[in-house]
Amino acid sequence: MDFVETDETGFEAPAPLGHPGRKGLPAGHPTGPKVGQRLPDFDLPDHTGKRIRFHEDRGNAKAAVVFFRSVVW
Amino acid sequence: MTQLVELRDGHQKFADAGMKLYTISYDDPEAIADFVTAHKMPYPILSDLGSKVIRDYGILNTEIKPGDIPVYGVPFPGTYIVDEQGIVTDKFFYDTYKRRDGPENMIDSAVGRIQLDPNEPTAAFMDEGIRVSATLHGAGGVLKQGSMRHLVVRFELGEGLHIYSDPVPEGMIPTTVEVNGPEGLVVQEAIVPPTETFHLKGLDVELQVWSGVVDIVIPVYPNAILLSEMRPLETNETTIDVNIRYQACDDETCLFPRNRKLTLTVPMAPVDVQALPFHQGHGQNEWDANSKKHMLRLVLRIFRQNPKAFFGGILRQIKLGRAAKAREREQKRASSSRTRNLDHDVL
Repeated sequence: MDFVETDETGFEAPAPLGHPGRKGLPAGHPTGPKVGQRLPDFDLPDHTGKRIRFHEDRGNAKAAVVFFRSVVW
Repeated sequence: MTQLVELRDGHQKFADAGMKLYTISYDDPEAIADFVTAHKMPYPILSDLGSKVIRDYGILNTEIKPGDIPVYGVPFPGTYIVDEQGIVTDKFFYDTYKRRDGPENMIDSAVGRIQLDPNEPTAAFMDEGIRVSATLHGAGGVLKQGSMRHLVVRFELGEGLHIYSDPVPEGMIPTTVEVNGPEGLVVQEAIVPPTETFHLKGLDVELQVWSGVVDIVIPVYPNAILLSEMRPLETNETTIDVNIRYQACDDETCLFPRNRKLTLTVPMAPVDVQALPFHQGHGQNEWDANSKKHMLRLVLRIFRQNPKAFFGGILRQIKLGRAAKAREREQKRASSSRTRNLDHDVL
């Protein structure tokens, strides 16, 4: 049985308390572009190397842009 | 990863709503390519190698130091919703990376209304032509560690009827919804729609009311008490009670006040994890997209970025590991000493 400790947000993880992988968003920390602002454009490659320029690619569609941690771990 | 899989399963809903979905991480295109193949991802996963966009947005996780493997460079995870003009209309960021939204929460926000899915767990009653339902909305209403779901209480009021928002004058009944789930289901404050002002005839009072279809949304998520990626599920379903109190009125008269309880039976599921030693054997859904190879490449990348910081990071993790071991030993000592005392009492 693993030794598992719950963090202050009520979750468990496969790393010790205080591990950088368990660090969350501190209270009051800014979270980037604000509601009401135009989302800054970005130009990034997908897994095939094809570059996607966000505002051009979405055209006039509404969109969700999800920043996540990793596909590796 | 669990979130990416939920977004995949709900991908058609984005298309149906005329929306596009983009996901971004600090991973390199090779790791993303293996992931896309393994999971048949239909939407773009973009590679922000070097975390430039993440930094420009101001969402680099600054609690993580250079050299902290394998995580240095990740963002505080979160979602932006933009309208046709590209203006941010909503965003979702939480205190912990464990909490994440599925497709429905994103689409509802963009579209401005809640589109319940017939596959979601639901219960309902009818009172004199008023239908009231409770639905666990999002990703089929399946509870998973940290996944945000919306418990939606929907009132479908007939023509001319309204229900009251708090506060109300003495003797009137405001609409209230109380959610009682299993231990470890975190229930957040209700999100209510905007009210209309209603003048009560004969009395000089203005009341705040709702009419038509009224959705009250209670965000919920399971924490480690209910579901944890560190242990297998004990059971694959649970129940949530929803206590609803309301009184519907028209311009002249009121129907009887009602106290009703709806009970939802909802499925629970493990999360999706990579087939890496620290995730394996915990009863979750393990997936191998060349995970070990990419983990090694990621560690080497962080080493090359900043060799000096890399060794500092290793040292910090060794210290954290030792501190955890010490706490584990202390816990074992305390528990065996309790057992000895119990034996003594028995004797």
